[in-house]
Amino acid sequence: MGAAGSKLEKALGDQFPEGERYFGLENFGNTCYCNSVLQALYFCVPFREQLLEYYSSNKSFTDAEENLLTCLADLFTQITSQKKKTGVIAPKRFVQRLKKQNEIFRSYMHQDAHEFLNYLLNELVDILEKESRAVKSDLESSSSSEQIPNGLNTSHTNGHIKEPLVTWVHKNFQGILTNETRCLRCETVTARDETFLDLSIDIEQNSSITSCLKNFSSTETLNAEDKFFCDKCCSLQEAQKRMKIKKPPQILVIHLKRFKYIEQLGRYKKLSYRVVFPLELKLTNTVEDTDAEYSLFAVVVHVGSGPNHGHYVSLVKSHNHWLFFDDENVEMIDESAVQTFFGSAQEYSSNTDHGYILFYERVDVGSAS
Amino acid sequence: MISASNPNSMMSSSSTTGNNNAAGSGQQAPGLKTYFKTPEGRYKLKYEKSHPAGLLHYAHGKSVTQVTLAHLKDKPAHALSSSSSSIGISSGVKSAAAKFLGGGNGSRALSFVGGNGGSKSSSGTTKVGSLGSSYTNSYTPNSNFDGKGTYLIFNVGDAIFISDLNSQDKDPIKSINFSTSNPISHAFDPDAKDGHDLLIGLNSGDVYSVSLRQQLQDGGKKLVGGQHYNKDGCVNNSRCTSIAWVPNGDGTFVVAHADGNMYVYEKSKDGSGDPSFPVVKDQNQFSVSHARYSKNPIARWHICQGSINSIAFSNDGAYIAIVGRDGYLRVFDFKTEQLICGGKSYYGALLCCTWSMDGKYILTGGEDDLVQVWSMEERKIVAWGEGHSSWVSGVAFDSYWSAPNADGTGENVVYRFGSVGQDTQLLLWDLEMDELVVPMRRAPGGSPTMSTGSQSAHWDHACPLGALRPAPSMRDVPKLSPLVVHRVHTDPLSGLIFTQESVLTVCREGHIKIWARPSEGQTTGSDSLSGTSLKEKPKVGYRQ
Repeated sequence: MGAAGSKLEKALGDQFPEGERYFGLENFGNTCYCNSVLQALYFCVPFREQLLEYYSSNKSFTDAEENLLTCLADLFTQITSQKKKTGVIAPKRFVQRLKKQNEIFRSYMHQDAHEFLNYLLNELVDILEKESRAVKSDLESSSSSEQIPNGLNTSHTNGHIKEPLVTWVHKNFQGILTNETRCLRCETVTARDETFLDLSIDIEQNSSITSCLKNFSSTETLNAEDKFFCDKCCSLQEAQKRMKIKKPPQILVIHLKRFKYIEQLGRYKKLSYRVVFPLELKLTNTVEDTDAEYSLFAVVVHVGSGPNHGHYVSLVKSHNHWLFFDDENVEMIDESAVQTFFGSAQEYSSNTDHGYILFYERVDVGSAS
Repeated sequence: MISASNPNSMMSSSSTTGNNNAAGSGQQAPGLKTYFKTPEGRYKLKYEKSHPAGLLHYAHGKSVTQVTLAHLKDKPAHALSSSSSSIGISSGVKSAAAKFLGGGNGSRALSFVGGNGGSKSSSGTTKVGSLGSSYTNSYTPNSNFDGKGTYLIFNVGDAIFISDLNSQDKDPIKSINFSTSNPISHAFDPDAKDGHDLLIGLNSGDVYSVSLRQQLQDGGKKLVGGQHYNKDGCVNNSRCTSIAWVPNGDGTFVVAHADGNMYVYEKSKDGSGDPSFPVVKDQNQFSVSHARYSKNPIARWHICQGSINSIAFSNDGAYIAIVGRDGYLRVFDFKTEQLICGGKSYYGALLCCTWSMDGKYILTGGEDDLVQVWSMEERKIVAWGEGHSSWVSGVAFDSYWSAPNADGTGENVVYRFGSVGQDTQLLLWDLEMDELVVPMRRAPGGSPTMSTGSQSAHWDHACPLGALRPAPSMRDVPKLSPLVVHRVHTDPLSGLIFTQESVLTVCREGHIKIWARPSEGQTTGSDSLSGTSLKEKPKVGYRQ
């Protein structure tokens, strides 16, 4: 067993983290979009642990019915329970289930990793909500499900009666945005809260994530054909709008909008812009003045020059080592290699490996000494 | 072909005429202006320096270009009279890479005046080559060439290039190739005694000290007469990130590495030694180990976990500022090897640092897109410059600039400084200490709470000697806005240097632009005759 140690095992040596497994994922024909996101999620440790915990404690309820949640949990279990420390696993059941369930992912075409992540997280939420409802009606008791604490967003939810359920997926990924619109006539500020599981942000050439997030929250004027219906004025008015983060999520997922529809071309184009992302980040566009601090732990990278083809790989930080996952292959990389995925300062460059989805984890700074 | 794509071409710089070496690099993209305005007048693009375009590809992503400014004095290489130039006589040197002597050595009167003595001999012949094939052969070695002049030393890929600052030639006059590893950092000391005035640090960790004049006199493409330290990385094989001469240090220099260690060398000592230092016990703990024998390096300072990104000495050489991956600025007393003060960035690594000429302030720039102003007196950040839309890669005080109405009576000192970033922009700032106001503190949610009150109090609290401050909160630090925001290159920038006559900007890919200061009297000088006339004159582009 020891003699068959992989290159990665040798590279890590006695620094190989106790109990950790580094497994590549087999590609079933253009499933790299799936593999890259799965690796990022697997190394989102709180998510992994809560998924496995939920799965083991709820097995009885879910019966034998297979869904994406059970498939994902099975896959993660399969990885964690491997005898070997490194190797390759075929996420066959998961991919089959995904294709069965959603026709978008059925073809062998190139898929968008962000779309997949979004679909997966929402699907998990749906499954959890369904199961919770089933449990509730079974037990005729509402105490088992957790509800949003008072005053968080109940007053703003636009009159929805449905009680939002906070699942462990929400606890990890969900944040709340406040969309503040100020009518320029009556000065009334209307605030609408929306929840998000990730932030999709516009990018600019030679900019930073910090700056892109700032732009995301910058004030925008609604006028001309884009006026705002003010409830107080009972008419369309010019208004100013800005998005602020009301509740920063535990896991901040930032999606860089690298695929842009270019009207003149009549098609999508990949923006290879150089957008630098630091290993540490603070959100400043928050409603409260608290500085939420984050640490980068995974990057899904799109490789290729166009939107309709290419490849996905991921960079993952595990126990202070950076790993490079390219389907079956897993390699150790230096932290400084992360910056080779920022993008290109010039439009036509041989470098086509660009950070596409960033995963930041909230850092709890010890008490304010 | 460049101007054709630019309909409103102002012919960025006439010095580029007939020189298409950098055509492939996409410089002079439309939208890049050839001037920028400041309250004291217009800065105009004077000329550019670059390198053969063929190298670009090789260099991509491998190393970032830094520039060192070197002023070679009027004196033959063999003269022994160099001891006369001990303290601050020549102000000639600043280094974008190491930024030691960041403030111009305190004496403003002297420096890059006049053309270079030696430029005539070479300028005629260097233009021959195109696309990097033949230009190096065209350089005629001239052993009588005394080398006097001001030079730009910059690294691109596996080569060091030397350009004559005062010549209009875009091409370098000399290239030195390093076959084994890429040069990353360099520093120059105009007062070096035995001729070895130029330091070069490589990606492999290797360090060379050489004579710049000797390189200029030699016709080859190899480094000549170099002293080799840390050979093949035998002492430390991590990247050499920053290198600096100790001001007035009698040939002492320091080399910072990507593994968080910094080594002290003495030029006079044997370079071939292989002193082994004890293993660093705690990566997070500062420690200094001295070599047991009198060999180079004589000491190792373990500064921090992760890379050291930049080091800078105060003008008098008493203090060294060090910034790195962990986001901390640390200031040490160099002689006593004691940590004096320091603090954390808002977030992310710090990438560059520099001192004010009077040693009162340190500027740092980093991955939080902010320019930080650190006060040595208060031992804390006194201002944040907000204006870059990407990481800040270079900072420098303009020691040649003086406040318009500085009559010397007022206490209100104004500092001018500049910063460059990966957003391809140059920003200029005025730091007026009287104008800094700590923003109003509003407690979140509108009601004053105990927790925020105590947090702020903590920040205001005097910091004991040798303690590092935590990252301040956004609301606790006064903000500065830039005076000028100017996009200068198409590529991310890596450094800037102020000289008496100009501002130099350099991008990561190795293109340098030299921006001439507004001409004398162009400002609001009401009693100056020439001032009014110049001010009215419409300026179209730059005329040679």
